[in-house]
Amino acid sequence: MAGSEEINANESKMVVPLTTWILISNFKLAYNLLRRPDGTFDRHLAEFLDRRVPANSTPINGIASFDILISSLLLRLYFPSDTPTLPDFSNPLFRHPFPVILFFHGGSFAHSSANSAIYDSLCRRLVHHCSPAVVISVNYRRSPEHRYPCAYDDGWTALQWAYNQAFLRNSPNSNPNIFLSGDSSGGNIAHHVALRAAATSNIILSGNILLNPMFGGQCRTPSELKLDGKFFVTLKDRDWYWKAFLPIEADRDHPACNPFGPNSVPISGLPFPKSLVIVAGLDLTHDWQLRYVHGLKEGGHDVKLVFRESATIGFYLLPNNDHCHVVMDEIRNFVSSNCH
Amino acid sequence: MKREHQEIGGDGGGGGGGLTGMVGGGKGKIKEEDDEGVDELLAALGYKVRSSDMADVALKMEQLEMAMGSNAGAAPDDSLIAHLASDTVHYNPSDLSTWLETMLSELNTPPPPLPPAPADRHLSYDLPPAPAPAVSVQSSIFDTIAPAESSTITTVDFSAPPPPSARPVTGPRVSYGPTETPSDLTGTRERKRMRSSSASSSSSRGGGVAGIGSVNTTTTEASSISPAAPGPTVVIVDSQEAGIRLVHALMACADAVQQDNMKAADALLKQISVLAASQGGAMRKVASYFAQALAGRIYRIHPQQDCSLDSAFSDILQMHFYETCPYLKFAHFTANQAILEAFAGRRRVHVIDFSMKQGMQWPALLQALALRPGGPPSFRLTGIGPPQPDNTDALQQVGLKLAQFAETIHIDFEYHGFVANSLADLEPYMLDPNRTGGTVAGADEEPEAIAVNSIFDLHRLLASPGAIEKVLGTVRAMRPRIVTVVEQEANHNSGPFVDRFTEALHYYSTMFDSLEGGACSGGGSGGAVESGAGQQQDQLMSEVYLGHQICNVVACEGAERTERHETLTQWRSRMVRAGFEPAHLGSNAYKQASILLEFFAGGDGYRVEERDGCLTLGWHSRPLIATSAWRLADAAAR
Repeated sequence: MAGSEEINANESKMVVPLTTWILISNFKLAYNLLRRPDGTFDRHLAEFLDRRVPANSTPINGIASFDILISSLLLRLYFPSDTPTLPDFSNPLFRHPFPVILFFHGGSFAHSSANSAIYDSLCRRLVHHCSPAVVISVNYRRSPEHRYPCAYDDGWTALQWAYNQAFLRNSPNSNPNIFLSGDSSGGNIAHHVALRAAATSNIILSGNILLNPMFGGQCRTPSELKLDGKFFVTLKDRDWYWKAFLPIEADRDHPACNPFGPNSVPISGLPFPKSLVIVAGLDLTHDWQLRYVHGLKEGGHDVKLVFRESATIGFYLLPNNDHCHVVMDEIRNFVSSNCH
Repeated sequence: MKREHQEIGGDGGGGGGGLTGMVGGGKGKIKEEDDEGVDELLAALGYKVRSSDMADVALKMEQLEMAMGSNAGAAPDDSLIAHLASDTVHYNPSDLSTWLETMLSELNTPPPPLPPAPADRHLSYDLPPAPAPAVSVQSSIFDTIAPAESSTITTVDFSAPPPPSARPVTGPRVSYGPTETPSDLTGTRERKRMRSSSASSSSSRGGGVAGIGSVNTTTTEASSISPAAPGPTVVIVDSQEAGIRLVHALMACADAVQQDNMKAADALLKQISVLAASQGGAMRKVASYFAQALAGRIYRIHPQQDCSLDSAFSDILQMHFYETCPYLKFAHFTANQAILEAFAGRRRVHVIDFSMKQGMQWPALLQALALRPGGPPSFRLTGIGPPQPDNTDALQQVGLKLAQFAETIHIDFEYHGFVANSLADLEPYMLDPNRTGGTVAGADEEPEAIAVNSIFDLHRLLASPGAIEKVLGTVRAMRPRIVTVVEQEANHNSGPFVDRFTEALHYYSTMFDSLEGGACSGGGSGGAVESGAGQQQDQLMSEVYLGHQICNVVACEGAERTERHETLTQWRSRMVRAGFEPAHLGSNAYKQASILLEFFAGGDGYRVEERDGCLTLGWHSRPLIATSAWRLADAAAR
């Protein structure tokens, strides 16, 4: 056993820069402390350990942020700025079409917040790469305290709010260019909010950007079996998070987890947005993500897959590797070509 | 000092690397003084790891992983994991190296045997019955400089101790030290052992400093004199249109004032009052206070009358503030936690309170000391306060009440009140037990463990040049075991007027929002609930209390402007320069403070955050006050 553990540590160290390895291993260790075998979660320790940053209406590197409360849902808005003044909410922020990226942070539905440092950093980079753009990070309710569908409901609330804001449209007569995006559980949320928008409303989204979106299913796929425990993530922890998020009696074929599985909701014929799906080859759940892409295609929807074979989870948290740069470029291109 | 990125590929950061909250705003990035040699990428995400330590940190992580058995194929060591999660106190997670070391040392040290577990291990505030009316006070109390006179101020009834301890036993049990959480979110019981402070400090606190960059070598003198590191201008916004227009109008007015364009400023003031009238809730109130303060500045109405408060009145206002919202309770609770830990194992303790006022912090500490394993120490309290305009001896009265309380819980208690116009008037010899006639340790008795406590007071010293340095020097000379400081987490002191105005506007808007939102105890978040004249009056008085601060920040200058709030980062520089090092508050204090908030603050807008070993309390994502603890930087102090 000791031998195989050494191999595990060495393997993951060989495919990411040391800084990234330390960052992700830190999360892995900390998160191990937080998940209890009985399915409960040490929320206080989680909050204590999480590194947070406040919003800052003084621009840093040309980007300012502020927080907004809709009832008790917190949103953090990021936008390009050169003065510390708050924008005028009653007028368009820009007079030409610009993307509004509604972002759902990752954390397997249980971890992190909109004001977590890793996500504040990522959102700022998104603004920078897609500039001029607004990014809105949603502080959705997390499991196990708040199971399905709370996170989706919060995403829906945020989308409706964004859709109705005058300052997020480039003119009173045009619709905003809203993209839903997220990494890990955030990617999952983006999908389901887009689905709800397509199925139940007139809101037309400009696109979906999913980064290592979190999907799964009851059966074990080859990638899960092959990569279990090798690159920071184990099947056991994936199972734990699904159990904590899904309804108590559900299994992983619940459509929230497995949208194109045995309990799938048909999406062909719905005005589902174009998707950009980024998959990391060393993410043990990548087979599920590929199935997701396949499911979208089968449903007649436009999807571009960017498969980074040697990328691990979290590669985008630090801008210190090629995967990150390529993916940011892909995102920028996707956003600009779908912004009208 | 900016280091080139040495990571694989790319430019390391595009344009948007987020900065940690400590390093705020202003033009571009401002580095903290103790940042030398840290990995920049990790620093941007809130972790401080020296580049030279990276390999070592990685190694520790691997060791921990092996021990935890958390890789696939190995049986995870659930009991070890549970021990690391529940029993270990975590400190300063930003310092990865030390954090890992603490956990590794848990592997090597067998957990200390549990102390014999009589009922009092599950500590609770079983309140003493109200003290009998005629208590013969045996301890010596009165030794103030001002002559004792009868008091005419509102007295606080110590038979009903302040809220945290005021819950009946059947309610939530709040305790210090070994805790059993009354009902945590998950419903499981957690048992913590209180590690003796020496055990935890050896691996965590001492190393905590080294991990960040040992205090002795990295203090950057030059950047010191208030390194105008402005705090982040943080906003939680109400997106209603009129609210934003109001904010814009207020800032435009401040701008006009700064440009000395009084005509424009005057016109804007009129606009503001119209806009404010159509607003509701917190925004209207905040706008009125700021408008009033601007008017004071524009028309040069002598601000002293409006802005400085008779200290008795100020005490009353603060008591209402104490009742309405959890900031002061949090301040007292977290400071007391640090003091309690610092006093562990000490038989003679002395608290010097720079912020005595009505002494509301101390019953809870006394209670905790009374219940601590091993029994209470003998307790000396020196309360410092300003002279009373009507010659009443407020300090004396407060001391008497505390003595009565201490009597009922059988703590050997001694009190000295000390009147001073300014903390800068204090000299160490004044607080010497020999001089004050207090009890002096016999030759073979251990010396007193001293705690110095300041709640929202240190910033006043920044109005007089040299005062803070003098006071910190005096504190240092007392050789305290712990210094607890609570301050507003904002920069209302440096930069041009408009910057200060803007910061204050955002800060107090958030503060007032929290008064509205948190006003219903035990209820949901959202609007204030009408629940009685008492509560409304408390809220109103709290607003007046904050309103006076606003007036002072905006309308005053020079020596009159005493509300010179600075951020944790700025205070850290001052304390480190004065020869102190951080004494970290850990996950146990964090957890207890969070639980307290859940019970007493109602709604879930209040948030405790940990940053660099300090704890902050804020409204949603905006920290508003910060508690930090300090000890002498030289080892001889321990």
